[in-house]
Amino acid sequence: MRKGYLILLVIFQLSCFAQNKQVLYNFTSIPQSLLVNPGADVSYKFYFGIPILSGVSANLGSSSFSAYDLFANNGVDFNDKVRNIISNSSNKDKTQVNQQLEIFSGGFRIGGKESQSYISFGVYQEFDFLMYFPKDLAILAVDGNQNYIGKTFNLADLNLRAEVLSVFHVGFHKKLSEKLVLGGRAKIYSSGANATSTHNSGFIYTGQSVGTPNLYNQIISSNLELKTSGLNKFTKDEYEGSVPSDIARNTFFNGSLGLGLDAGITYYIKENLQFTASIVDIGFIKQSKDVETLTYKGTYSYKGANPNFDPVNKPEDVFDQFDKAIPRDTLYNKYTTWRPTKLYSSIQYSFGESRSDDQCNCKGSINRRYLNAIGGQMFAMTMPSEPYVAITAFYKRSIFEKLDLKATYTIDPYSNKNIGLGLSGTLGKLNMYLLVDNVLEYKDVSKANSLAFQFGFNFVFQDSED
Amino acid sequence: MKSNFISRISKLLLLAPLLFSCSSSLDFDQVNDLKLKPVFVANLAYFDIPATQLINDGSAEPFVDVSEFNAFKDKFFRDNLVKAELNFEIENTIIRSFRIDLMLLDANDQILETDSYQVPAYSGTPNIIKFPTEVFENERLDLLKKTAKLGFVVTMDAGPPLDINSKGNLKFRSGATIYMEIE
Repeated sequence: MRKGYLILLVIFQLSCFAQNKQVLYNFTSIPQSLLVNPGADVSYKFYFGIPILSGVSANLGSSSFSAYDLFANNGVDFNDKVRNIISNSSNKDKTQVNQQLEIFSGGFRIGGKESQSYISFGVYQEFDFLMYFPKDLAILAVDGNQNYIGKTFNLADLNLRAEVLSVFHVGFHKKLSEKLVLGGRAKIYSSGANATSTHNSGFIYTGQSVGTPNLYNQIISSNLELKTSGLNKFTKDEYEGSVPSDIARNTFFNGSLGLGLDAGITYYIKENLQFTASIVDIGFIKQSKDVETLTYKGTYSYKGANPNFDPVNKPEDVFDQFDKAIPRDTLYNKYTTWRPTKLYSSIQYSFGESRSDDQCNCKGSINRRYLNAIGGQMFAMTMPSEPYVAITAFYKRSIFEKLDLKATYTIDPYSNKNIGLGLSGTLGKLNMYLLVDNVLEYKDVSKANSLAFQFGFNFVFQDSED
Repeated sequence: MKSNFISRISKLLLLAPLLFSCSSSLDFDQVNDLKLKPVFVANLAYFDIPATQLINDGSAEPFVDVSEFNAFKDKFFRDNLVKAELNFEIENTIIRSFRIDLMLLDANDQILETDSYQVPAYSGTPNIIKFPTEVFENERLDLLKKTAKLGFVVTMDAGPPLDINSKGNLKFRSGATIYMEIE
């Protein structure tokens, strides 16, 4: 029991990563921006990421409390902190973790030197966790029902999903004209472990009314379901192995498979006015390996023991009745999970022409460089209850020809003053980038409701550098 | 030379956020202080016997029932229960007086404790008795935790005879308040 709480708390502590990559989005000097918009205006002769180090990202978010609220070393009793968090949270508050690690990635131009068609590909590993705050159940665990006569404890508050998967992807984008870039990416998902419990309903109710044969009216109506894949064997007593390494192996070599698609567009309304949009992870996973579904479904009205002083017709034991009314059922059916689909869009206005290098514009075409860009972005993601939506204003600046800076200001469910900073620099052929969001929170990370960072290293080869 | 520079730059890039980040001191060991103290209320037992089920010539007569009670089979419940209170309420609208004995029995039908509740005969005025709360702590709680069956003996005292036309009911309602401490 205690272990369970501990795990829960650790997850809370880690929590707080929205999947919005607002700093990376349309940061086209970074090849990984193709992962958030396969139709981004990125060009290269070829590139490859430094294995394991080309894209490391993590996002944590917890909308109603921070690590500080729970673990501050301030003499306040821990149980009081837990109570405070419960009373300050609602069942709409959520805890999110998203982590991605690119194993390898690369890309190349296809066709001749004049071609503007590009392939990009790679493999990355991803961990996703989302849990809504189980407010009613937390109250029940901390206070019990004594002071909540007449309250309906909502079992739908139990709402979470978690997944470890690897993604194998190949993308293609083409600059069809000076105005239009289109791109798409096909993905194969391999899910090593999944737990989904997002469609629960039911309630626990204790009431009191005069004239009834019982002191209390107690009803449990339960429609609980937990689906898992890839986890069942770890719960068995005879399992003797290493859970992390087994999950890792399943994730890459023996996972439940799925398919997905990304699509994106970049369109230049005017030379210095650009519109982009993308949809990422329209896809599903057919959970088929080591699947198990646990259900507690039924309705039970608890009345207590009921002697009838009739030696012939003995009433059943009330607790046996409970087990019959709300049985624990285990099913072994395959099930399908949908990936959280992300939608991005941006509009960007560029200004301040670069007058520095490139005395001769050898290509002759419109290769004008702008030093500054401002614009707005929108992000939305599907979630079990309501979608996650964030809006961003940004400013991009080329500090030198090979050093770009992007600053973002984002309003999202975790914060209304999320400032992000990104830096992408190229040294020779080596591209390095570091993106951080919620920079204001770094003055005390323990009080942050959400944090995200991403960094990586690539080797990028352009024609001009031939 | 160049790779040296690259590694220096990359280190700087990696460490930059740490350089300007701080954190209040956190104490994760506090998790060990977590102690949940929920208090639950629940029905314990009830019955409602009509006078017509107690047809009797006027002499004293006992009625006996034993019900299975498996709540304490659950180890988690047993281990974390620190106090229990039982409340009893009897309403009698039958023209006879009763004594209700509640016996806590263990799995071998040994009596752990007997609690007796008297209720007078109905005389036309409201006849509901709420008995003082039975508090189970320490040794008494340990006995309660061994309970596997609830025995009821309803003894009808001598009085006017009851037949199929007799009116009234003997209603028994009881509830438990359960104090848990979960660490």
